[in-house]
Amino acid sequence: MEKFKEQATQDLLESGFITQNQFDEIKTYRSLNIFSLNAELKFLLYLSVVSFTSGIGVLIYENIDTIGHIAILAVLLIVIAICFYYCFKNSKGFQKTETVFEHPVLEYLVLAANILTCIFIGYLQFQYKPFGDNYGLATLVPTLVSFFCAYYFDNKSVLTIAVTGLAAYIGLSVTPQTLLSNNDFYASESLSYSAVMLGILLILWTIYSRRIALKTHFALIFLTFALHIISIASISNMVSFDVFTWILFTVILAVSTFYFYKISYQYKAISLYIFMIIYAYVGVNVFLFKLFENIDFSEIWELFVLILPIYFISSIVLFIKLIKNFHKEITA
Amino acid sequence: MIIYDKNILDNEALDDQAAALYSGGFISKEQRKLIEKELPSFKKQNNILVRLGFFLLGSFLYLSICGVISLIALSGNDDFLDICCYLFAIVGFVGAALLAKRNYHNHGLDDAFILGGLLTFGCAIAITTEGYEMVIAFFVSVAALYMFLRYLHVLSMLVFCFAVTTLLFFGMFEFGELGKAVLPFTAMIFAAVFYFLTKRVIKNLNQQYYYNGLLLANSFCLILFYLSCNYLVVRELSAELLGTEVKPGTDITFAFFFYAFTIVVPILYLVQALRTKDRIMLWINFAVIAFTIYTIRYYHSVLPIEIGLTLGGIVLFTIAYFSIKRLKEKESGLTFKPDRINHSDGFLNAEALIVASTFGMKPEVKTDSPMEFGDGGFSGGGSGGTF
Repeated sequence: MEKFKEQATQDLLESGFITQNQFDEIKTYRSLNIFSLNAELKFLLYLSVVSFTSGIGVLIYENIDTIGHIAILAVLLIVIAICFYYCFKNSKGFQKTETVFEHPVLEYLVLAANILTCIFIGYLQFQYKPFGDNYGLATLVPTLVSFFCAYYFDNKSVLTIAVTGLAAYIGLSVTPQTLLSNNDFYASESLSYSAVMLGILLILWTIYSRRIALKTHFALIFLTFALHIISIASISNMVSFDVFTWILFTVILAVSTFYFYKISYQYKAISLYIFMIIYAYVGVNVFLFKLFENIDFSEIWELFVLILPIYFISSIVLFIKLIKNFHKEITA
Repeated sequence: MIIYDKNILDNEALDDQAAALYSGGFISKEQRKLIEKELPSFKKQNNILVRLGFFLLGSFLYLSICGVISLIALSGNDDFLDICCYLFAIVGFVGAALLAKRNYHNHGLDDAFILGGLLTFGCAIAITTEGYEMVIAFFVSVAALYMFLRYLHVLSMLVFCFAVTTLLFFGMFEFGELGKAVLPFTAMIFAAVFYFLTKRVIKNLNQQYYYNGLLLANSFCLILFYLSCNYLVVRELSAELLGTEVKPGTDITFAFFFYAFTIVVPILYLVQALRTKDRIMLWINFAVIAFTIYTIRYYHSVLPIEIGLTLGGIVLFTIAYFSIKRLKEKESGLTFKPDRINHSDGFLNAEALIVASTFGMKPEVKTDSPMEFGDGGFSGGGSGGTF
């Protein structure tokens, strides 16, 4: 393949699209013959952290009665302390902008330390109940630790743990699997209100962070959580029989869709945009279904059958148009 | 053989190159835009979602054309059911040709017609031969190869690979018990031969039109080669096909060879991938290693899963740490520095998502188990078992 690429570069030069200088630069770079293992090795590191912490978690869970509690806690604490020691020693301290460690391993060390801390606190609470029966506090403490780590060491993975912790504190499960399987947490109405409030809170936090220029690159994660939480809560309440509830949540979904439409252009985030479209589309369909619920179809079902394919095709066309527009806008 | 205008295909290559150079920071945005504007190109969709949308639209179009034909023909003749699929396949091939003439390439619409044509062609043969697998596989592979050669359609190449493999399998079944018994070795030799064949063809290519498809076939051979003699696959398939039951204390014939194969091939791939700087082989190798571990764990509980995970984590960490340490300062060749031209860090973006799903905290109120509270570290271990 290399020879074709070099040929293509040569052709670009001959057609006058690139200058001789650029061509020389490219040629010198190619002659380095770089084979980068950057992504692969990072992936290995990541895999090692995930499997190590999972292993430790299960190990403790299985042997909870056989090994001494103090021994487990002590070992965990030592490992955590070592991890954090290296992280703090090599970190550049807190910075408001995006920072990276000198050494890529440390980023994963932070993740490991953080997960182990969560396990540590969970274990402590299970065994010694330092927070008493106040399980909320037992969730809040690891959450706060995670937020601290995420902001101090600038780590997105830790930030997602922190956000799920925050949601767990108010009684929501927002891990991706539960969001996908559309759990029954949102069936309860009060939880739905909390979910929407949490979403709004996250959005407000991104706005505030933007104003004071604090880790603006975190915004996308907060917004992603906000979008999914608000949309799923709204849609699952739109099927409610209570007229007031479903109209209220339709309005919420409409407003959030509009907001995320704007914001995804602003952040040039295709992931937000696509999910915004999908949720809006589901919402519109549920809304239409609600409207037609009281109409007797026996008279007009032929019309309905005729309209259905047209409806599908126009939806796809609209979808393509929207995405193309977006693509044009963000690459411009 | 190729239906498309060669000039446009060449332009396409230049355009791709310009895109790569732009993302590597070698040329400016204006230059990139200029190149894009100056060179006439295909109607194509680079965005996978838009392409998917067009694919759906194309499928609708294809279905409605077939529907109209059926409506007209059904009222006339009873034999229609026997030949309908041939008609549909012709619709697909003609549609593909028409779209290609209008310079649609990798657009979504053309995908729908090409793949739809292949599918209905397969159905047509199936109806005529009353489901004789070998003949179906043969005709489908020929059609898919034709589609690839004429329309440079890489997905057709994938269809071709699968069809040829199926052909080999059902061909071996024709020989009865003996054929089934030597199937792993035949598949292995087949994959090896085709691997070196495609490799040689790629090396001697003068023009790059067929490069992507051949590369796909090449990678397919690598995977097939490993799977053909993987212990798990062989054992389960022989139980399925020959009905051999492995009693406790015994093992399948040549078990030693299959075990050795399962373990040696990943090492071989890794060495070869790093030696020849073959990134695709490296990625396939990751998957192969994972499957090897799965295979061994499937039959032997060498270590309890949690200890395996913990130790595995430590070992992986050590390997990665020392590799990074060694490669970090290198400026050329094998290095840790990100490549400016060939990016491959797409999947790192998914990291945060995976962390959230593995270790995300769940609320404690709803769960009965006391272990679930506070953090998912405990419950997360369960999903870790897939490694």
